[in-house]
Amino acid sequence: MSFLSKLFRGRRYDDLSISIQEHIAERADELVAEGKSRPEAEQMARREFGNVGLIAERSREAWQWPSAESFLADVRFALRQLMRSPGFTATAVITLALGIAVNATMFSMVSGFLMPKLPGPDPQHIVVPSSVNPDAQFQPDVNPVSVPNYFAWTNDKRVFAGMAAADAYRTGSLSQPGQQPEAIVYSAVTPNYFTIFRVAPAVGRAFLAGEDQQGHDHVVILSHGLWARRFGSDASIVGRSVRLNREDYVVAGVMPENFRMMAYTPQLWVPLTLTEADRAPDARKNRYLTLCARLAPGVTLEQARAQLKILAAQDQKDYPETEKRWGASARVLNDFLIYSFGISTALAVMMTVVGFVLLIACANVAGLMLTRAVGRQKELAIRMSLGATRVRVMRQLLTEGIVIALLGGAVGLFLSYFGIQGLRAGLTFNEAVTNVPVSLDRNVLLFAVAVSLVSAILSSIAPALKSSRTDINTDLKSETRGATSGRSHNRMRVFLVGGEIALALFLLIGSCVLIRGVYELDHQKLGFSHDHLLTAGIQLDKARYADATKQAQFVREAMGRLQQIPGVQIVAVASDLPASGPGSVPIHIKGQPESQANEVHTALNVVVTPEYFDLTRIPLLQGRTFTARDDDSVPRVVVVNQEFVRKYFQGQSPVGKQIQLDVTGVAPAWYEIVGVVADVKSYSEDPRIEAEVYEAWAQRPVASFSFMLRSNVEPNSLISSLRRALAELDAELPLLRVMNMDQVIEFQRNGNPLFTKLLAAFAVLALILSAIGIYGLIAYSVGQRTQEIGIRMALGAKAHDISRMILRESFKVTAIGSAIGLVGALPLPKVFDSIFQGLLPFGAPVVYPLVLVVMLAVALGATYGPARRAAHIDPTRALRSE
Amino acid sequence: MAKDPDRRDLFAGALELMILQSLRYRPMHGYALAKHIKQVSDDLLQIEEGSLYPALQRLLREGLLESEAGVSAKGRPTRIYRVTEAGLRHLELEVSSFEKMFAGITRVLAVAKG
Repeated sequence: MSFLSKLFRGRRYDDLSISIQEHIAERADELVAEGKSRPEAEQMARREFGNVGLIAERSREAWQWPSAESFLADVRFALRQLMRSPGFTATAVITLALGIAVNATMFSMVSGFLMPKLPGPDPQHIVVPSSVNPDAQFQPDVNPVSVPNYFAWTNDKRVFAGMAAADAYRTGSLSQPGQQPEAIVYSAVTPNYFTIFRVAPAVGRAFLAGEDQQGHDHVVILSHGLWARRFGSDASIVGRSVRLNREDYVVAGVMPENFRMMAYTPQLWVPLTLTEADRAPDARKNRYLTLCARLAPGVTLEQARAQLKILAAQDQKDYPETEKRWGASARVLNDFLIYSFGISTALAVMMTVVGFVLLIACANVAGLMLTRAVGRQKELAIRMSLGATRVRVMRQLLTEGIVIALLGGAVGLFLSYFGIQGLRAGLTFNEAVTNVPVSLDRNVLLFAVAVSLVSAILSSIAPALKSSRTDINTDLKSETRGATSGRSHNRMRVFLVGGEIALALFLLIGSCVLIRGVYELDHQKLGFSHDHLLTAGIQLDKARYADATKQAQFVREAMGRLQQIPGVQIVAVASDLPASGPGSVPIHIKGQPESQANEVHTALNVVVTPEYFDLTRIPLLQGRTFTARDDDSVPRVVVVNQEFVRKYFQGQSPVGKQIQLDVTGVAPAWYEIVGVVADVKSYSEDPRIEAEVYEAWAQRPVASFSFMLRSNVEPNSLISSLRRALAELDAELPLLRVMNMDQVIEFQRNGNPLFTKLLAAFAVLALILSAIGIYGLIAYSVGQRTQEIGIRMALGAKAHDISRMILRESFKVTAIGSAIGLVGALPLPKVFDSIFQGLLPFGAPVVYPLVLVVMLAVALGATYGPARRAAHIDPTRALRSE
Repeated sequence: MAKDPDRRDLFAGALELMILQSLRYRPMHGYALAKHIKQVSDDLLQIEEGSLYPALQRLLREGLLESEAGVSAKGRPTRIYRVTEAGLRHLELEVSSFEKMFAGITRVLAVAKG
């Protein structure tokens, strides 16, 4: 058989029909010879031969390169069929496109955040060894590691081919003459750090061995982002010096753009210098290094973990003082980054929501296809009687589904391109999130295709199964019995629409509960007055402000200058802004039994100047607040909040009582409680209030703090004056986050506004889609029952009887769907509580009836049109309609 | 449809075998082939057109048969089927394996009777 004849398969088909025609003709001749009449003989010959179409098709199939060819034919046929009913096609495609678009859009975040593209070859062999904190509730196994442990572990060459350490989050100032100093986050890394990843700088060189020695350590490697933003991508920067923390550093190189690791993506790197003191046994309690190690060839993660466990057990024995109960473990880099980013839960919730939206869209399309299948029942019956097999018909219907879904997928991808752009624009609520690239990448593309195929199957399997069960005889004969046909189809549609309503209600309730929780948070009373308040963060560096005296002096001078700015009423300084989650310290209360080791008394700890309480308008409840006389020459005093009194003094007045604070680096001393102030929310984005202790600034100045300015003018109008006043004092000191307090609160909402907006959008989309579903169902059933309605009216039914009948039908579906959705949604607040660990208030029973009413209203609204149409059916026309 | 006890389904490959054997000495067109098998088997085997034509196409595809344009006994245009070299080899192989199988079955049936 020649290659050409394979190509021109069409000729074979013709040969075949010639053979068959001849076969029948010859048989007919024979029958004529036997004495039959010509027409009779021809008919008999045909009957004997059997189904010509079927036999021809089977014969042809012998040639077909298993199904590829017939699939293409099916696709072509499907496209023709779909083009013939553009209304149906457009509705189905757009419905699926919306479902697929929201899925692809959300998936771009999954791809960006849960499938990070790591730099260098074989990143799966890089692990992050970590300390395991015995007492931590939150992510206990990804704690940083102490320097002595780093040196102990790095020597284990059997498991690790190489190990590097990073002090990952240092803040510093980058200054240049004539430019505003900038606060940046940078990492100090061991010189072999980049070698572990096997990534070379894009420009210049990596750190050299020995550059971690004092005197050689003033070299810096820039991130690609900083290089482009601050130095205009100038390659000649290598070898020149930049000013970091008031000192000159030589630029050694620039890392490539893809050297990014989610939250661990600093602006620049300097060598990490470790001294003998850092290696002393005493340094074991300072756990601050993030490690990364490449596994030795052939070593698995489990083996590395086992080895770390052994090492940690040994340490527990050797250094019981510092290592007691501390363990060690490791995660693969990828896993570590995703886990410590902690966005998986939120993404899982969002993906579930969009998954539901897609299910609703699929149910809608399945409903549409069922409707269409009913209209096509006769076509299908004819096709089957002409020899199409059940499988063939099913395959054709599935192909139609696939064509619709792929069209929907294409339109959906187009839509998701804009969706992702919008999402990208919204993903700026913190620096770590901004660092993660979110785009329409290959993963999103593959996901969209997969989702399209799944929705093709979901939306066309039911109609295909149903239609292929077509009974040729009854369907061909049912010409005049239209009034009651399509019952089982209708049952299927009722099932689909009921399911849709259940899903939509479930989604609506879920999103409303979440949105309400977030709304409550946004509108919670924080306990202080946050309007007309400008804030600016300061981190005093060791280079210029080595001790408390110098720090206090800076603050005194700065406050004096800030006070002079026109419009400023009060200036205060606080180690942490109110409702911004200050650090907590262990406390001891004089006269109270020492608590057990595992239930340490703690309180949030803030250091403030005397003006703070006036400025924030936090009311004083007992005793006094600080005065200018509370400095280091008098005994230490503290002010506590109400929650502190409730928790540790059972509501008794604590004024005059003594407590001790365990602040790192401060000699323990007794503090006298001199006053009680009202509670302030510990975090603006969280309903909790924790016990809080305020210290007097003059008694313990700190290097990291914020200025707070209460003004009688728009606070942001003071920014330039504030910058100027502080630059006069110290031109190289960067300001962190200059914003008014409302902006700070907004900033602290983190991703909440974006996520609530997305949730609301998805829930509304679900509602709209299910409304379309209900409308379609009712409109269809009214269309089907035109004759029946005509008969009813001819027999005396009134218009409102008819509309009531239609409404009842819609109500029945809605009620059943709603009941299922409602029951499913009942445990949602509990589920959310466990997901968000009490971070959001979810007590919102009012949501349930409200959402239910909305759902019913929408369902009845969607029924209104078809019901009205039914009521206005002209009985004479209806009866003649078929 | 009730099954006719006198007629039974052919086992797999049997139809192909008979087609090849029938066409071995005389190329034929479809109708003649069907009639030939029917006559030779004394009407015991009736070949359904529903399986004959697909089987012919399978054999063509596998290169065991070839076809050419020709005319029927009545002078109508049709396709004449002929066994190829490969078809002959295939036939011999199949026949010998069938014969072995029949021999086996016959023996077993004989023992069962005895």
